[in-house]
Amino acid sequence: MNELVVAILLPLIGVGLIWALADGSRVVARWIALAVSLVTLYWAAKCVLAKTLPSYNIPWFTSTGVDIRFNLGLDGLSLWMFALSALLSVTAILVSWEAIKERGPLFYSLLLILESGMLGVFSARDVLLFYVFFEFTLIPLFFLIGVWGSEDRRYAAVKFFLFTLAGSMLTFLGMLAIVLLHADKNPELGITFSIPEITAGLAKYPLSATQQFWIFLALFAGFAVKVPLFPLHTWLPLAHVQAPTAGSVLLAGILLKIGTYGFLRFNMAMLPVGTVTCMPWVLWLSAGGILYGAFVALAQSDVKRLIAYSSVSHLGYCMLGLFALNPLGMQGGVLQMINHGISTGGLFATFGMIYERYHTREIRELGGLARRIPLLSLFMLLFTFSSIGLPGMNGFAGEFLILLGMFQRGYAQAPAFYQWQWTAIAVLAVFGVVLGAWYMLWLYQRVFFGPLKEPADHGADDHGAHDHAAADAHAAHGHDAHGHDAHGHDASGHDDHGHGVAALPPSSVRDMNAREFWALAPLVVLVFWIGVFPQTFLAPMQADINAVSTTVESAYAAHEWPVKDSAVVAGSLPSPSVAQPQPAALDAVAAETLEFARVE
Amino acid sequence: MSSDTVSILLPELIVVLTATFIYVAGAFLPGKKFWGALALVGVAAAGFVLAGQSEKAAAVVAANEAGPLAVDLMGRYVRGLALLVGAIFVLAAARPQNESLIPEYVGTVLMAVAGLMLVGGARELTLLFLGLELISIPTYILLYLGRRDGASAESAAKYFFLSVLSSAITLYGFSYLYGVGGSTRLDIIQAAMAKALVTPATTGALFAQLALVLVFAGLGFKIAAVPFHFYAPDVYQGTTHTNAGLLAVLPKIAGIAALVRIASIAMPGVEETGLRVTMILALLTMTLGNVVALWQDNIRRMLAYSSIAHAGYMLVGLAVDFAAHKSDDPALQDVDGIGAALFYVAVYSLATAGSFAAFAYLGSRDKQVDTIDDLAGVGGKFPAVALAIAVFMFSLTGLPPLAGFWGKFALFSGAVKVGLAGAESVKLSSWFIVLSIVGVLNAAVSAAYYLRIIGVMYFRESSTSAARGEGGSGARLAAFSCALLVIAVGLAPSRLSQDSQDAATSARAPAKVSAAVAAVAQVGDAR
Repeated sequence: MNELVVAILLPLIGVGLIWALADGSRVVARWIALAVSLVTLYWAAKCVLAKTLPSYNIPWFTSTGVDIRFNLGLDGLSLWMFALSALLSVTAILVSWEAIKERGPLFYSLLLILESGMLGVFSARDVLLFYVFFEFTLIPLFFLIGVWGSEDRRYAAVKFFLFTLAGSMLTFLGMLAIVLLHADKNPELGITFSIPEITAGLAKYPLSATQQFWIFLALFAGFAVKVPLFPLHTWLPLAHVQAPTAGSVLLAGILLKIGTYGFLRFNMAMLPVGTVTCMPWVLWLSAGGILYGAFVALAQSDVKRLIAYSSVSHLGYCMLGLFALNPLGMQGGVLQMINHGISTGGLFATFGMIYERYHTREIRELGGLARRIPLLSLFMLLFTFSSIGLPGMNGFAGEFLILLGMFQRGYAQAPAFYQWQWTAIAVLAVFGVVLGAWYMLWLYQRVFFGPLKEPADHGADDHGAHDHAAADAHAAHGHDAHGHDAHGHDASGHDDHGHGVAALPPSSVRDMNAREFWALAPLVVLVFWIGVFPQTFLAPMQADINAVSTTVESAYAAHEWPVKDSAVVAGSLPSPSVAQPQPAALDAVAAETLEFARVE
Repeated sequence: MSSDTVSILLPELIVVLTATFIYVAGAFLPGKKFWGALALVGVAAAGFVLAGQSEKAAAVVAANEAGPLAVDLMGRYVRGLALLVGAIFVLAAARPQNESLIPEYVGTVLMAVAGLMLVGGARELTLLFLGLELISIPTYILLYLGRRDGASAESAAKYFFLSVLSSAITLYGFSYLYGVGGSTRLDIIQAAMAKALVTPATTGALFAQLALVLVFAGLGFKIAAVPFHFYAPDVYQGTTHTNAGLLAVLPKIAGIAALVRIASIAMPGVEETGLRVTMILALLTMTLGNVVALWQDNIRRMLAYSSIAHAGYMLVGLAVDFAAHKSDDPALQDVDGIGAALFYVAVYSLATAGSFAAFAYLGSRDKQVDTIDDLAGVGGKFPAVALAIAVFMFSLTGLPPLAGFWGKFALFSGAVKVGLAGAESVKLSSWFIVLSIVGVLNAAVSAAYYLRIIGVMYFRESSTSAARGEGGSGARLAAFSCALLVIAVGLAPSRLSQDSQDAATSARAPAKVSAAVAAVAQVGDAR
């Protein structure tokens, strides 16, 4: 049987096994889930490392005028996200090992269902099959957040679901329009839903600019919410904060990337003219997201919320790189999709482990943890560095390519009208990197350095526990529920712990155990591997990304850009992609740019 | 009545005879559970005969060319669907409030099912009207049988008066149709109207439009389309879950089938009026149903608004069909709005009947689950039933990979196609884009209240849960069967989709009935 099909079906078989064997026991369920996800990882790796990437194609929904196929395949755009989905699923299961106390079998079943959906999204090559998987991932995550989340979980789950659904319903219409218009233009294939065929067909018979524009907007509605692009991001911090650790890891690591992947796969490859028309707007929104996410992250007092806003900022980089519309930027964007998955997934996972020990997300209740849990702190540090893009680590490679691509687009390749704007965007993005270092390192300093500060009742029940969880958790830990209420939010009372303490006060908190180490170790390996040898990861994507970037760049070259009012040159209305700025104008641009950066 | 007619009508006859037997014999042995089982056997036998009918039908139809029965694939589709939901409701009703009334209850359900089957197979106005009444009259009885309190009596009376009014309006519309066509047979009316409307300024054209509007008003009541919907919330709330399910499903299927037969097919020449009417009705119905459902706390009232909203989606299919067939654009000739509406009504019926059965199961004899808060903790207490309800809610929202998604896919791919065709080939084409956008946004709105049910079941615990789970194993079985079907159709939609499209094709070509029947015979042979 085909490797791809095996990889997608295995988690579902795992669900069956859990229901058949676990009999309500979370211990059995988690071992089954771990085993199944490891086997799935093996098969996914086999798919990715195969000499010729596997593909699979059988009819699925066929009736008069409809031919939706179960059409699977990998290419450069999807390859690494496919592999990362399998990897992070293992991480997600390992980080839930002790954290999930009730309804364990259901939890692990939902995780496996989610894994199957994620693998399906990235390997689907049929428009409707992609959409089916895309929507389907909502259901397990909805339950993961709603049942096992923190205090505000119900609101978070519903908001997450409704935002995504509202956007993606419009995406659905856009996809129908693409399929039907393609069938109109290219009738010899009939109504085909195959992504490669439609991409090729639309390259030959492109849609009109108006059609592309409107369909771009329809697709944009769903993908931009999913990314999430500023200002459609409001569901994300809530969902991240409320989700259980595994949910946060997968949401940040994989599910957000479905949005950027959709932009790449559909908007850019199929609607190049629409992409170019909307590009100036998307660039500004991305830059807005970078800065907004960063500034709001600075102001957070909740660790998970801070990391969530850093996601908004980092996804802004992904979008910026992709919408630089040149090979450099797009490679950087795709690489950054993977990087963000690893580093933010790692951050959420590591902090999840800390949360399990202290049951608080409040920064001010924590401090000096590097003394208490040195190994965990080291991992947190590595992911923090990876997230802010320290050279030699993965974040650097991605952000560098993105910024390079954006500067190239803004400075050397922009039409005169947009030159200063886009250069400014690139400069703002650099500024965002600085902010990123600031909020991440500041977070690290406050939580891990300085005098030791631990909430007194750590190890008690869940912070803001589920009403139904409370009884069980208390029984399990033998702690007093009232102690929690009395001391939980009272940080000032603990300051005396820290000052001038030479020896650590005794505590039940242990550093990382082997299970936690193995959950994070693969991610750390990837952090350095991608950082040192990015070419290993870029090479397999290059051909496919170049194909997309060629498509959009030719649309870009043909686009009629607005002309900068009087100053611009008589006679040489330039082919915009090669427009060189006048040296004199350059200084003005730079000055303007700096000014703008300062204002921001 | 020749023996051929008998053999065509055999499924209906079996259902009616079973019902009669249960009525009569039930008087001597009241309150026995086996009456439900017997009713199921009757339905199964009718289904068996219906399935086997295709082989003989080709021979039968020749003798029946002039008869009032349409022996076509659409008839087969609707009759099959009627038997399916009939079986579900018989199962769900196996434990009514008053156990001594079991025979009356299941017998009456069977009568309504027979009425629905007649509507599906009728191509003659009188027979069609008889079928509609055969659904309505048992429904009045069921509404009284369900519960014996003030609210129940009020809801039965409300339904009775409005239903009678709508029947009168429908009949009034039929009378104009008769005047225009000179016959009660739909194929003759179709031919006559095609001829008469070559010159549109005649009184015939005016009367045809009047007939169309009246038919839509009368049947709009059956499918609970806005502004003929206002009885539904009160009536559903005042009765039992099983009765509410019957009201939400049987008249809906009948109304859509009748609208397809009469308005979409038998009335060429008034497509433009039909297009405007259906489009306005669809927009209003979807939006009002979904938005008002957001504020409901009573489960049946919420599902009443949900069923109103879904009527709006079905009307989208009819609007698409009117637009496509008014147009000369060859690209639009294969757009199948009717097929999409028939597909949608089937997946809607499965999910709705299933969810009412599941809610019926969750209650007990003294108290059914009424408010959404009553569902707190069901996810932990009755995991399988909660899962089934979640499946229905997600399917009604239209999430893949469940049946409801393909229903929305069928409807909106038609609407988008008509919308993209451009104003030169379809009048009002840009309105179809509006219609699709409003439609999908409505789906997102509907998710809000469907999720509320799921959220209360799974995310909230309650020590004093109102859900008892004493509604009888029949209701549970009915819910599980529906859930399995919803999932199965979601994973493998080809068969149902092809059936609905074939049904639409064969209904559209009454002149080619024999060809369609030959096709049926072939399909039968192939199996």
